[in-house]
Amino acid sequence: MNVRFLLILSLLLASCSSLPEIRPSADVTGKRSACPSPFVAQKTLFIHAIEATVAGETRAVMIGVTVADPASRTLSCALMSPEGMVFFEASRTPSGTNISRALPPFDEADVASGMMDDIELIFFEPTEPIERAGVGDTGQTICRRRFPKGGWLDVGKDRDGRIRIQRYSEGGRLRRSVALAAGANPYAAIELQASEWAGYSLSMTLIESEAVPDEALLGK
Amino acid sequence: MRAKAIRPLSVLLLVLLMAFPAAGADDFDRLRRDASRISSLSADFVQKKSMKILSKPLVSTGKFFYAAPDSIRWEYVKPIRSVVISEKGASKRYIASGGKMIEDKTGGAQAMKIVLDEVAGWMKGKFTANPTFTASVHEGPETVIVLTPTGKNMAGMIEKIEITVSRKDAVVKTVRIVEGAAAETRIDFLHTAVNPALPPGTFQDIP
Repeated sequence: MNVRFLLILSLLLASCSSLPEIRPSADVTGKRSACPSPFVAQKTLFIHAIEATVAGETRAVMIGVTVADPASRTLSCALMSPEGMVFFEASRTPSGTNISRALPPFDEADVASGMMDDIELIFFEPTEPIERAGVGDTGQTICRRRFPKGGWLDVGKDRDGRIRIQRYSEGGRLRRSVALAAGANPYAAIELQASEWAGYSLSMTLIESEAVPDEALLGK
Repeated sequence: MRAKAIRPLSVLLLVLLMAFPAAGADDFDRLRRDASRISSLSADFVQKKSMKILSKPLVSTGKFFYAAPDSIRWEYVKPIRSVVISEKGASKRYIASGGKMIEDKTGGAQAMKIVLDEVAGWMKGKFTANPTFTASVHEGPETVIVLTPTGKNMAGMIEKIEITVSRKDAVVKTVRIVEGAAAETRIDFLHTAVNPALPPGTFQDIP
């Protein structure tokens, strides 16, 4: 009985999680400019090679096209096979998501919505104010925001320069972890880890990117 | 699944027409006879994908190989390497992962098998027998074969496929797959060789 109790207790403890502790730091606390902000500053088109892994096994390699416009907070994206077959096309504005093409498994509403959430997490600066800033247990910078509907978002910078975006549930469970490349272009390499009941990871390598002038839209 | 498979099928099948001589409007029988003379093909290709989201076409490059009666290798080199090989009725797809090529064992590979099984039929010149498309030939400065979907199952996927064949040297110059008003895939073939000696291992598995 005691053994069973201890086993259950250890499983419960293992399943519990909490937000990483943030310690005050003279370099960060109270200095919002010290918080990393890798996010897109102007309307930009990105083309990435994306490798999707589920349960440690590569399940798909695809090309992802994203146009992110931070001013209007609109996203357009397309996913296609290396052969050019488009199996997902969608756009998102503050008023909603419009899916213009979705072949399986992207025809599942949760899959499509989750993917748009991931893209928004990667490219757009959160609108919520920073509630707390400091350093973590390894000396990394952490700037924390709270979502009005529940949950937390940490944007931090490791000591090696890599930027991490981490979304937590209200209870502090890590839901998404995004690591961006150190260096001049954080979107040169993106690693996303989703911790859901069906976890997956995306490894994105930049093929090309370019700023999209508003004039380019006039003819469309 | 079938509709998903049709597009790459169309691309591959049409490429296989590369060496078909220019034809008159009712000369599909001659195309079929000419197909039987082809023992092998090789070509480079440049694919330009146009979509509304793209400010300029996404360019992919690769190589294509065929050996009679049913061996095909359709290989993209850039921007992402992928290889589809069909040999003796078995089809495999390989994708680049972690610096090496791995076999795709997902449903995509199954879709490609459907594709390449049908390719074999077209390789025998039976391209008008596929009920998925209606084929027509338009003569002009160059010969254009137009394939139009017959059913609604491809609605929103493919409006039509145009194959431009040079009247001068009787090889396909361009394949244009029109997916809609704002989306199309254009493939230009370069350095086409008819009946070349292909490198050993062209159709073998990728280790």
